Amino acid sequence: MRRAMLSILALLLGASGAAAQTMRPFSTYRQWHGETRLDARLDYAAGALRLAAGRPAELYRMDVLYDGDRYLPVSEFDAARGGVGLGLRASGQGGLRVVSRKELRQTASVTFSPRSDLALAVTLGAVDGDLELGGLRLTDLKLEAGASRATVRFSQPNAARCRAATLTSGAAELSVLGLGNSRCDRITFEGGVGRVTLDFGGAWTSSSRVAVRMALGEVALRLPRTVGVRITLDKFLASFEPQGMVRRGTSYLSPGYDQAARHLDIDVTTAVGGVTVDWLE
Amino acid sequence: MRAPSRVLAVAALFGLLAPRVASAGTLSDPTGSHAVELVHGFWSVVADVAGQPGDADDQQAPHPPPQAIPPGSKNEPPVALDELSKPTAIETRLREALRRHDGGIRVTVTNGAARMGDFSIGSNETVPGHLLVVQGTADIYGKLLGNLVTVEGDVVIHPGGVVSGDILTLGGEVRDEGGEIGGEVRTFRTSNVLETPLPAAAAPPPSAIETVFRRMAGVLGVFLTLGALGFGLVMFGRSNLEVVSDTVSHSFGRAFATGLLGQLLLLPTFGMLVVGLILSVVGIVLLPFAVVVYALLVIVGAVGGYLAVAHAMGETYTRRRLALGAMIGSPNSYRYLLVGLGALAAFWAAWSIFGWVPVAGDLIRGAAILVTWLLATAGFGAALLSRAGVRENFAGRLLPPEALTDEYLWATPQFGVTAAKRPGSRTPTRGL
Repeated sequence: MRRAMLSILALLLGASGAAAQTMRPFSTYRQWHGETRLDARLDYAAGALRLAAGRPAELYRMDVLYDGDRYLPVSEFDAARGGVGLGLRASGQGGLRVVSRKELRQTASVTFSPRSDLALAVTLGAVDGDLELGGLRLTDLKLEAGASRATVRFSQPNAARCRAATLTSGAAELSVLGLGNSRCDRITFEGGVGRVTLDFGGAWTSSSRVAVRMALGEVALRLPRTVGVRITLDKFLASFEPQGMVRRGTSYLSPGYDQAARHLDIDVTTAVGGVTVDWLE
Repeated sequence: MRAPSRVLAVAALFGLLAPRVASAGTLSDPTGSHAVELVHGFWSVVADVAGQPGDADDQQAPHPPPQAIPPGSKNEPPVALDELSKPTAIETRLREALRRHDGGIRVTVTNGAARMGDFSIGSNETVPGHLLVVQGTADIYGKLLGNLVTVEGDVVIHPGGVVSGDILTLGGEVRDEGGEIGGEVRTFRTSNVLETPLPAAAAPPPSAIETVFRRMAGVLGVFLTLGALGFGLVMFGRSNLEVVSDTVSHSFGRAFATGLLGQLLLLPTFGMLVVGLILSVVGIVLLPFAVVVYALLVIVGAVGGYLAVAHAMGETYTRRRLALGAMIGSPNSYRYLLVGLGALAAFWAAWSIFGWVPVAGDLIRGAAILVTWLLATAGFGAALLSRAGVRENFAGRLLPPEALTDEYLWATPQFGVTAAKRPGSRTPTRGL
């Protein structure tokens, strides 16, 4: 009996080892040669993704473990426009595979130099993403998330002034934390279905305008007390709890809005769902 | 013996963990950036998963003596290394180009050279053009004015060394020890460029006997599984199974019609469920569970219904035999199920034995599929009609008192008492 169990175990282990052989490690990077600006595009179809600031000596780096039968790594640098395309795209081959999900777990780690201004466009498919954008010199951000669960963080203040951040999600669960550190003049979020958390904590150095459009789902706003906040709401079948904000016309204002040195103006449009407000201490 | 084996197991665990802890300790970063440490940590994980390619030098075959690779014949297209942005395409092209001809490798590199074995560029040397190094380490002390590709070999850029273009390693890694790389570095730590694919041997078609045995084994496996499921069902849900089984027996047409309708409505119902949950917003959270539960219910309904049909068939057959005076040891649900499954398996057994016969084999298979579908549909419908064996409305159990005639009671075994053969009579009539 014990021998039979051991045989089955050995077979199972052998099978998992064989399946793991299709996962390929791939790395790409480019040395930093004094580039002042990088226009980066990251398309990542499926798997886990981690993005962060990297070594100053490297303009960018991507380390990825991917399913070689179904995906192709993308690593294309265009010196003329100072742009790079990174990520994984489906090869359109391989068919359906029925094995343990763990064995097919693709992972990627992408880093960018903290020395160069970065215009970043990220497209995520079915991705579990953790994007730490603090410490970069982010000038533009465009994030499109399909059926993803992603957390975008600004743990440190953005080293450059960000012109605009545009976040789009399909059926996703998206959390954006520390938007005060992003130093973005304009922040736009468009969501289809799901849940989005917008945390406006961080060190605010200027005023900012935010537009949130959510079709179906929940919008959670975490607001700082250090800036004057105004929320203008356009809702259909959605609930809203003002949480101590004062109504003025169609807007809700935080106490002391008029006296605040910096303002955060948020326009929320939602059809079905709810908008919740939490105050950050 | 048990205690020492535990000690050994713990020691083995430490042995496995200790090298990882030690290597993690070396991954310190001068910048102190947590993110960079995470990236380094990621790569160590990748190395672990990929089978420790960091030790590739130890595992690689010894490099062949350094030599130039002769150019290919005029019939063979040259390999262009100008554009390395699509590394998998380059890999495919090199796999084709580096196939051995007459025991050796021949390849022509456009605007460049190809080398076999270790190769180095001296500190006062400048090599123009692209460079392909096969099964060797490329040590760059001087300047390479072009792209560099290695197959089953590493690239080492020493201090002062320059590669003006891109670097691609297929089965190796790049060690930048302070040199300058003008282009992009791409690294595949594993590659099968030099592996000659074995010609796929055409498997001989299986013989008729082999085919029969294979199919018999398949049929046996399926019906043994169904038997095991059925026994579990009898053990834990006997009353429900019996109600569904009786519904099949007494309302077969109605059960079949319901099953057919149920099959047609499966997808629309699923769509409505998903849309309803999404519209309720709160239900979005429940969506994954609802999908799984719905799928499980359908599977349980279909398989349970099929087993109930088998039960009904076995019960009918057994009772007929009892009515004929046959002595049967234990006419219970287990027996009914076994007999019914045996009857159902007979169709497929016939196919497995005669399936290789032209035309007739296909006909038998078609008949088996049709019968299985008909009975599964009826079973599914009976499961729906009886609400999984909860409702007895169509099970023929709500008999009016006037229907409990002596004839009925005599022919129907009650509480396990087998019916006795009527003296002087030949065959009981229908309904038994």
